[in-house]
Amino acid sequence: MKTDFVLFQPTLAAQFRALSAIVRKDWKQYWRYPLNAVSTVFQPVIWLAPVYFMGKAFSINGQALGFAQYSGTADYMSFLILGAILGNFVNAVFWGMGYALKNDMDSGVMESNWLTPIPRLHILVGRSVTNLFVTAVTSLGMLIVCKFVFGFHPTGDVLKAVGAIVPMLIGLYGFGFAFAGLVLIMREANTLVDTSAFIVQVFSGTDFPVTVLPKWLLPISLLLPLTYGLDAVRGLLLKTNTLLSIGAEVVLLIVFMFVMLWFGSWIFYRIERRVRMLGTLGQH
Amino acid sequence: MPDFAIEARQLIKKFPARPGTGDKTADVSPTAKRRFSLFRKREPKAMFTAVNGVDLKIERGEIFGLLGPNGAGKSTTIRMLCTLLEPTSGTAQVNGFDVVKQANDVRRSLGTVLAGERSIYWKLTGRENLEYFAALYHIPQEIAKKRVDELIERMELKERSNELVEKYSTGMRQRIAISKALLARPPILLLDEPTLGLDPQAARRVRELIAELKQEGHTILLTTHYMEEADQLSDRIGIIDTGKVIALDTPEGLKRRIDQKEIIRLELTGWHDDLAGKLKSISGIENLTSHQQGEADLWEVSLQAQNSRTALPRIVESISGNGTRLVNMNVVKPSLEDVFIHLTGKALRD
Amino acid sequence: MTTSTIPLTRSLGRPNFLSAWRALAAVMKREWVIFLRYPSWVISLFIWPIIFPLSYVFTAHALSGKNGIGMTQFQAATGVHDYTGYIAIGTIIWMWQNVVLWNIGFSLRNEQLRGTLESNWLSPTWRFAYLLGSSAPQLLSMLMFLTVSAIEFVLVFGVRFEGSLWLTLLALLVSIPSVYGLGFAFASLVINVKEANAFVFLVRGIVMVFCGITFPISILPEWMRPIADWLPQTYIIHAIRSASLSTAGLPAIAGDLKVLALFGAFWLTFGYLIFNWMERRARRTGAIGQY
Repeated sequence: MKTDFVLFQPTLAAQFRALSAIVRKDWKQYWRYPLNAVSTVFQPVIWLAPVYFMGKAFSINGQALGFAQYSGTADYMSFLILGAILGNFVNAVFWGMGYALKNDMDSGVMESNWLTPIPRLHILVGRSVTNLFVTAVTSLGMLIVCKFVFGFHPTGDVLKAVGAIVPMLIGLYGFGFAFAGLVLIMREANTLVDTSAFIVQVFSGTDFPVTVLPKWLLPISLLLPLTYGLDAVRGLLLKTNTLLSIGAEVVLLIVFMFVMLWFGSWIFYRIERRVRMLGTLGQH
Repeated sequence: MPDFAIEARQLIKKFPARPGTGDKTADVSPTAKRRFSLFRKREPKAMFTAVNGVDLKIERGEIFGLLGPNGAGKSTTIRMLCTLLEPTSGTAQVNGFDVVKQANDVRRSLGTVLAGERSIYWKLTGRENLEYFAALYHIPQEIAKKRVDELIERMELKERSNELVEKYSTGMRQRIAISKALLARPPILLLDEPTLGLDPQAARRVRELIAELKQEGHTILLTTHYMEEADQLSDRIGIIDTGKVIALDTPEGLKRRIDQKEIIRLELTGWHDDLAGKLKSISGIENLTSHQQGEADLWEVSLQAQNSRTALPRIVESISGNGTRLVNMNVVKPSLEDVFIHLTGKALRD
Repeated sequence: MTTSTIPLTRSLGRPNFLSAWRALAAVMKREWVIFLRYPSWVISLFIWPIIFPLSYVFTAHALSGKNGIGMTQFQAATGVHDYTGYIAIGTIIWMWQNVVLWNIGFSLRNEQLRGTLESNWLSPTWRFAYLLGSSAPQLLSMLMFLTVSAIEFVLVFGVRFEGSLWLTLLALLVSIPSVYGLGFAFASLVINVKEANAFVFLVRGIVMVFCGITFPISILPEWMRPIADWLPQTYIIHAIRSASLSTAGLPAIAGDLKVLALFGAFWLTFGYLIFNWMERRARRTGAIGQY
């Protein structure tokens, strides 16, 4: 008896369904490691503690007056907490997105995923959405904990600050596509991911105003789009001194977003093609 | 008095059961019993019996095959014999040494291949792996170097001995793992699935090697999923199922057990569960196993019958119609696989 | 008994005192060779000593202000004029403990995941030798790391080591048992724990919060200070800072050294006992083969 075969045509709804399946799978997998999930909330608090106490050692009558000379605010903990939140996203992109493809390859599921008819970039997009969502949730948790432990006193416009952050995060995840591709072709990526995530965080000013840097190091900061993102958010929420006007910084972030989305996709497709040519898809 | 290389008496191994499984009544662990009496409100821990009284006597110089389906207790038994696991009760001696009280002497007496290619260091060369393990087996340096060279030569790895194991094929890695077991020239070898994952040529080489090792006087305890291998190599075979040895004899002896039975092998398309039920209900049919051959809709069905002459017409009648097509049929003498199915009700690959 | 023992005369193994040392040396050699075959160690060796303290140093720079107004306060609180050296040493000791937790702490578990733990366990060698043997190359690489760090602090951060090299080495020597004893205990405890990463984060987090890596202990609130007093890393950081940065000499660190000697004895013993407990438990539960 002959079977009549029918090929399903992908509709927009089908694409969304596939995307949401990926998001749901990643969400479920994330919470199957509850200790690690909880630790993500408390890690930034731990990393902030030495700076908190260090700040006290530098404070005069409980006021970080020296800090205010550089940043425009004596509330160094609020300044640093915002940096820690961005740091959370940087880590999530470098580690989470960076290893998104490599982990799949190592565990053997990459072939299964790539054999499905949905565009491969959509798989990464799905992962990014979950990653972004989960990181936002853990960052919020972290913010609440930090508020109680260290105090967090934003005095500016929260909505505008959130608005400024959106293009920055999208651009960051666009970069994440490129990074995922790079990690895929490297044999031992751990050191690259570790050091580059850290360097990006340090130079984008998560821990200090970048104007503190010596003149020969400052250009590195100025080349990182994240520097402007963080600067704009701090400017809007804490009324700190900013490198450029907040408007200019937001425009920069929007340009960054489009550039990174295009660049990230392009790199991803180049590398995906290379992997197919070399036949290394199933190797680990 | 016979001299046994390995002797196990009523080996039992129990593990704490996962929640919702296990028997909470009879199988209470000794520690749980104590807790139960000191703190009356505590529940006894539920235990799961992996090995339920295994008795084995393996003679010196023989190749003993241990067969069993997944979950039968094979791995647990082996791990108790090679001292990785302590029995809950029962005793075992390997080369006359008790596996619990004289564990180190047992380890000196054994060469073991467990987990094949995963048991060696991929970031070391083949030679470095062997030199490393030679030191762990207390082989003096001068002897170790010669021994490593000898084994590399024997395993035909001379050309690649100074390359990292991560670059080797599966067959080469398995040969290094076997070399590792042979380093100290132990009297007893324990080979767990030595040909798993190897291509036919590589598998054949390993089997030839095993036969040579027996000629050299080693006692070999072999586990395998490949019936033909067990049949070909073993002097005696023990079949283990649900934690007990349910049969122990030479391969011929085991086959003779179901000699009076006949095996009817069918190849057909359009196999389905209803048909399986129909065939099983035919009088004289004792056991039925089926498996799909490759990706196509082609199935091999084996039936154990007391008398093929009376069963055949009923079989053909049951098959015809309903979209099933008989491609081939023959009546064969029972193989070891058939013995296995007869004794355990499952195919070894299940 | 129906079995007789065949003396292992045909066997090539000759266990004796020397062969036990050879086995230990073989484990050390194996670890060292594998370490060198992952080329990224070079980057870790040269880059981390600079970038990790960097963020704290610049934060401190920011806190001190454009005219050093905060620095005066810091100097009064710590008695230290060179805050870069102060911070650099604190952070390097933290990195040392962190690396030991990841490398030694996960050594058995990584072997288990790879499948080689069983191979090792099957040999007739003293099992603690595997932990000891893994530690020696790791310690050597850490000594290299600390040396490179010291050089980079001088060249990049301009730190001035005005103290005594010998006292610093003495302090380091006395610190080793505590740092590695904790690593041994960790290795044995996490072998079958899910999400063992979270435990590393916890332990290194405790060191980060309580041990004064970038600040004097006196800054901690009252309730936190007793916790700091019970952590060997507090004394390690204090002793090495004092020995390397100041000219106060042995009397300034004698108390720290005595405490560290006691901690070291405790942690090494504890690490060994926990290992034996784990090993016995693994034989009962078959934990070695599980992954």
